[in-house]
Amino acid sequence: MKPASILAAAVLLLMSASAALAQTDCTKLVPPSPWGPNDQTGATNRVTAAVTKAAAGEIQEGKVVPMSYPLVDGVPLFGTRFTKTILTATSLAPGASFGENELTYMEDTWLSQSHVGTHLDGMGHIGRKDCYYNQIAMGKFINQNAMTKLGLEHLKSFATRGVLIDAVKVFQAAGKFKANPACKKPCLEKGTVITGADLQAGLRMYNVTLREGDIVIIHTGWGDLFEQFPAQNATYNSGEPGISKDAAKWLVDQKVVAVGSDTWAVEVIPGEDPKEAFIVHNILITDNGIHIIENVRTDLIAAEAARTNRATFFFNMTVPRAVGMTGNFVGIDGIR
Amino acid sequence: MLLSPAPTSGRRRAVIVLVLVALALGAGWRAGADERRFTVAFANLTEEPGVTLEGTGFTGREVRESFALAARRLPVDLALYDNRRDPRTALDNATDAIRRHVDLYVEYFHDAATNDEVARLMREARLRVLAVNYPVGDAPLYTADNAAAGRLAGEALGDFAARAWQGRPVVALIVGPVGARQDRIPERVQGIGEGLRRRHPGIRIVPLDTQGNPAVVGALLGKAVAAQPTSKLLIAALDDSTALAAKGALEAAGRSADGAIVALGCDRSIHGGASDRKEIDPSNRGSIVLGSVAFYLDRYGYDLLPLALRMLRGEPVPARTTTAHKLVTAANVFMEYPPYDLQ
Repeated sequence: MKPASILAAAVLLLMSASAALAQTDCTKLVPPSPWGPNDQTGATNRVTAAVTKAAAGEIQEGKVVPMSYPLVDGVPLFGTRFTKTILTATSLAPGASFGENELTYMEDTWLSQSHVGTHLDGMGHIGRKDCYYNQIAMGKFINQNAMTKLGLEHLKSFATRGVLIDAVKVFQAAGKFKANPACKKPCLEKGTVITGADLQAGLRMYNVTLREGDIVIIHTGWGDLFEQFPAQNATYNSGEPGISKDAAKWLVDQKVVAVGSDTWAVEVIPGEDPKEAFIVHNILITDNGIHIIENVRTDLIAAEAARTNRATFFFNMTVPRAVGMTGNFVGIDGIR
Repeated sequence: MLLSPAPTSGRRRAVIVLVLVALALGAGWRAGADERRFTVAFANLTEEPGVTLEGTGFTGREVRESFALAARRLPVDLALYDNRRDPRTALDNATDAIRRHVDLYVEYFHDAATNDEVARLMREARLRVLAVNYPVGDAPLYTADNAAAGRLAGEALGDFAARAWQGRPVVALIVGPVGARQDRIPERVQGIGEGLRRRHPGIRIVPLDTQGNPAVVGALLGKAVAAQPTSKLLIAALDDSTALAAKGALEAAGRSADGAIVALGCDRSIHGGASDRKEIDPSNRGSIVLGSVAFYLDRYGYDLLPLALRMLRGEPVPARTTTAHKLVTAANVFMEYPPYDLQ
């Protein structure tokens, strides 16, 4: 090869390498974590011992309010997503029991996409190009089966205070409530934008001030359609009421740990700008490490708050330490 | 202890004036903080179910919904009307909007004489007007640019042929209601021709008139394809349903490898969400349907309401604003139409 060709090849190589570097320069696309360059945990860093202890003060009656939907085949899912359980019950066959005590057993095989039913979005769920939370260039940290960074195993506890914001009441009080006719209970219509001002109005209704480490749960009533599965699955998936960009930014400023709702994406769908995709997910998860919890059952805790005029509770949720996973279904109880 | 001298009556008057000025300034500042809301009326061409607009697959309902969605983040309250393609209804709607003292009237109606009358009514009522696709007096006009959209389609086909079929015989077919006079179809057809000839000045262009019935595409195209056994075929479809029918016809004729199709319209029948798996989809990059030129009727509200607000705030707006048509392909469809069927 002539020297000129070698030089040209070297220049080309250098150019392509720098182009590749430019694509993965996540410092320009995603802000750094406030918990340092090695952080893979995100906002659960805020759940300190003091935060959990203070949240325990919410348990006054010992009343447990379910906040997750039954996980069962037929709930609203998109496209090719599926859940399927297969029961292994072979030991019930005659002669298949074990020992003189005739022990029998059953087990399940549970085939499911992880973002199904009441579920948590982890740090590895949403990015901007290949850049994820804390400027992690995720293209380098995935294999065929899982992520090697930002998996659920890095999360800390969610044992903190939950705060309910009843958006249905907010919109009713403001005289701007518009319902979807398919809802049997009051629900906000899909596409209804819940702003930062609406969230603050909801907090004022119950005289609550958010504090660092809280988890905010927004009741829109849209979950009523989830409960009607499978009859209203298409309507449920067709859009939803949810928070705006400005509401998400306001929640970021309050230093919350997670934001949940009785909808499938927490944010308003269709979004405010038709050329943006799930922008609130980017704001909360990618840029600020704040979790999103979807399909939360909120009607019972909303009723409880209305009955007692208290919108705070101990948020009890355990997330499997599923290595390398982007999210998982969760069980949630609000304890009062 | 220092005591202020008691103000004289002149001083007292000055103090009162200063206080009043300060109060007025404060009130003005607060008024600025609480942005003024406007009532904008939109009279749609027609919202009859199943009826499509502008020679595309979009319906009046999609146009209306775009106004409702766009208004969510603007200081705008909407008054919505359906002109039902009926001159009497269009005039009644205009009269009602005047009676309701709306701040601005957005008129989408096809009949020139009716639009002249609407313009007169609005002028007398000193109500500002924004016209959609058809002029209303001298009101600012927002309109599709059918010639530009056609050129985009023609150029896309021409570029593809130059890239993939260099040196091969190529024939262009324009399929759809090519003989129609309405919906500015002639401008669209002319634009396609101009776009094709940019790369291929001498290209033969064959019109196949479906008279608006996609069901006849198969027969028409089958015949045309059979007559061109050795040629590559560039197919400009005047709407999305025609494009999909053309694809089916090529497949039926066993000539998929010889064809490339570009549509005009880009409605939801040809693109979809992540779960829809429609023709224009990132996972379907090998399709012979190269793309569809977007007309964005489902975004009219997002384009028109900001224009209306500028007019209401006394800012200048162009006499003519055109849709920013774009060729939507498998490579950019999720940028242009981000899917929201995932969670």
